[in-house]
Amino acid sequence: MARIKFEAVGKKYPNGFAALENLNLDIADKEFLVLLGPSGCGKSTTLNMIAGLEDVTDGNLMFDDAVMNTVPSHKRDVAMVFQSYALYPHKSVYENIAFGLRMRKYPKDEIDRRVRDAARRLEIEPLLERRPDQLSGGQRQRVALGRAMVRQPQVFLMDEPLSNLDAALRISMRAEIKQLHQAMQTTFVYVTHDQAEALTLADRIVVMRGGVVQQIGVPDEIYERPRNMFVASFLGNPPINFIEGKLVDLGSGMAVERGGLRVALPPEAALKVQGQSGRDVVLGLRAEDVVEDPSPVADATLSGRVAAVLPVGSDQFLEMEVEGSKLFLRLGKECRYREGDNASLTINANRLHLFDKQSTQSLLWA
Amino acid sequence: MTSFLPGRRTLLFFGSLLFALYVLAPIAWLVSSSFQSEAEITSVPPHWVPEQPTLENFAAIFQFSEEVVTYENRKQGDTATGGFIPSTAVNLLPSMKNSFIVALAVVVLNLLVSVPAAYALAKIRFIGRTSSIYFMLSTRVIPDIALVVPFFLFVQKLGLMDNLWALIITYLAITVPFSIFILTGYFESLPDELDKAARVDGCSRLQTLVLVYLPLALPSLVAVVLFTFLTSWNEFLLALMFTQTPASQTMPIVVASFTSDFNISFSFINAAGVMAIVPPVIIAIMFERYIVSGLTAGAVKG
Repeated sequence: MARIKFEAVGKKYPNGFAALENLNLDIADKEFLVLLGPSGCGKSTTLNMIAGLEDVTDGNLMFDDAVMNTVPSHKRDVAMVFQSYALYPHKSVYENIAFGLRMRKYPKDEIDRRVRDAARRLEIEPLLERRPDQLSGGQRQRVALGRAMVRQPQVFLMDEPLSNLDAALRISMRAEIKQLHQAMQTTFVYVTHDQAEALTLADRIVVMRGGVVQQIGVPDEIYERPRNMFVASFLGNPPINFIEGKLVDLGSGMAVERGGLRVALPPEAALKVQGQSGRDVVLGLRAEDVVEDPSPVADATLSGRVAAVLPVGSDQFLEMEVEGSKLFLRLGKECRYREGDNASLTINANRLHLFDKQSTQSLLWA
Repeated sequence: MTSFLPGRRTLLFFGSLLFALYVLAPIAWLVSSSFQSEAEITSVPPHWVPEQPTLENFAAIFQFSEEVVTYENRKQGDTATGGFIPSTAVNLLPSMKNSFIVALAVVVLNLLVSVPAAYALAKIRFIGRTSSIYFMLSTRVIPDIALVVPFFLFVQKLGLMDNLWALIITYLAITVPFSIFILTGYFESLPDELDKAARVDGCSRLQTLVLVYLPLALPSLVAVVLFTFLTSWNEFLLALMFTQTPASQTMPIVVASFTSDFNISFSFINAAGVMAIVPPVIIAIMFERYIVSGLTAGAVKG
C-alpha cells in the first residue's frame, strides 16, 4: 500500500524564499501522478520531499497515514530516477544497479537474480560490466531505471527523466515507462515541464506554478476544462489563443465583443455570465477549434488577414491577425489560404473558454 | 597559433635547460658532496663527481657512536683533517623518526577532520555555511610567528612542552583550514545528484561520503595528503619553540643544530640533507600524476 498525502505542506528556505505553499494532495495507491509546471514552480521540491531529500517546513507528509516528516531517505521505501541519471561513475553498470540492494543487505543470490532480471527487461544485459562513461544517454537512462526497478519500491519517483534524450528516444521511452507502470503496479510520481508527456502518461495531473497548485485532475479535465488562464495556456500545442474583449448582452444570449469581432457564447456558458454586460473578459480558443466553412455563421466567425502559413506535413498552421490580436490556428492540408489573404474561419463555439481578465480565473468551470 | 620558428624553439630549449640546471644544480651538489670527504669538498675547482668517494658521512649517521674527543685524538675534532662529526649527529635518525610520526599523525587526523567537514560544507545547506568557510580561511592570514606566543602558552598550560603532541596539535591548526578548502572545492564539483541517489539508495550521510564521494575525490585527497605531509615535515619555527630535547626534536631542528657547533662539517650536513629530502621525494614521485589534477580541480570553481 502506498498512499501519499500532503496536508497543508509548505517549504520555506532560511533566506525566506517559499518554494511551496499550502499543498494539499492525495496520491492514490498505484496511481501515475504527474507534477507539471514551468521551472521553479515547486514540482521538484515536492518530489524531493516525498523522497526525504528536502525537509518539510510546514504541514505533514504522510505515507499510508504515517507521518514521514522526520524519517530519513534511506528509511523510506522509495526509488528515484534523476534527470541526469546520477549513476555512480566509479562503479560498473551491475554495481550501479545492485547498490541499493547491497545497502539494504539483501542476500547475494537475490541481488544477482534481480539485477539480471531488470537488465534483461531493459535490454542492457550486454552492458553489465561497463562503466557509465562508456554508455550512451539512452543506455544510461535505462541503467538509472534499472537501479530503481530492482528495489521494487512502494513509490517510484521520476524527476524529468526524459529531458536529456533526443526526441525520438523520448517518445519510445514514454511508452516503456507507461508499460513499466502497468507491470510494476506501484505508485508513480513523475515530474515534467513537458505538457505532451504529462497528457500521455498521467492518470492525474497536478499543474503547479510559483509553489501553488493551479489545478488537479485527469488529463482530459485539465485540457478541456482549465480553471485559469495559466493552465489553459500551459497545456496544448500550440498554446491556446487568448482574445481580450467585453461581454455584451445580445438579448438572445451573451457574446464577447472586440472591435468588429463578436463571438456568441453557447447557452450553458451564457447562463453563467448572465447580466454581466460590460465585464472585461478573455476568450480562449484552441488552435484546432476552427474550421474553414464556406458559409460564414453569424457571431461565430473569425475574420482577419493571414500573416503566415506554416505547413507541418499533416496540417497547416495559420497565423492570423484578428482585431489586433495574433492567433495561431490549425487547419487541414486542403486549406487554400495564402499569406496576405483575408480569411474567414468558423469557430466551434462549444469549445470556447472564457476567463475573467482581472483574476484570470475561468468563468465557465469553477 | 603561429608555428614555432626553429630559432624560437632552440631558444625555448636552452632556456628550459638553463632553468632546469639552476634548479637541479644545488641538489646535485648536495648528493655529490655527501659522498665526499671534507677535504675534497673544499678543493678548487669543485669535484662534481667525487674522485675519492667515501661513505663516512652516512656511516656516522647510521652508527650511533659517540666520539669523545680526548687529548690524544683531538686532531680528529678538526674539520680540516676531514674527520669531524658534529656531536648531535647521533640525534639525526631519531629526529627523522619523530618527524615521520608527527607527519603521519597530522595527515591521518587531518583527513579525519577535513573530509567530513568538506562534505558538510559542500553538500549540506546549513545556516552559516559560507561564513564558516571564510572564517576558517581567514585564520591562515595570520603569520605563524604571530601565533608562536599564544601557541606556546597553550602548549605549556596543557603540559605538552617537549612532547610530539604539541607539534601534532599545532600543525593540525595550520593545515586543516587549507585542507578543508581544497576538499570543499573538489566536493562541490562532484554532482549533487550523486548524493541524492546514494541517499535514496539507502545510504546514510556518512555512507554516502565514504562509499560514493571518497572514491571520486581521490585526486584532491592525494593533494591534501601531500600538502599536509610536506608542511609537517619541513616545519621549523613551531618545532623550534616547542621541542627542547632530542626526545621530541624533529628533523629540521637537528639538521639546523649541526651548524651551531664550533666547527662545521659541510659534507656531513649535506649527507643529512640528502636523508632529509628522500622521504618527500619518494612520496612526490609516487603521487605525481595526482598532484596537479588534485590542486587545480577545485580551484576552477573557487
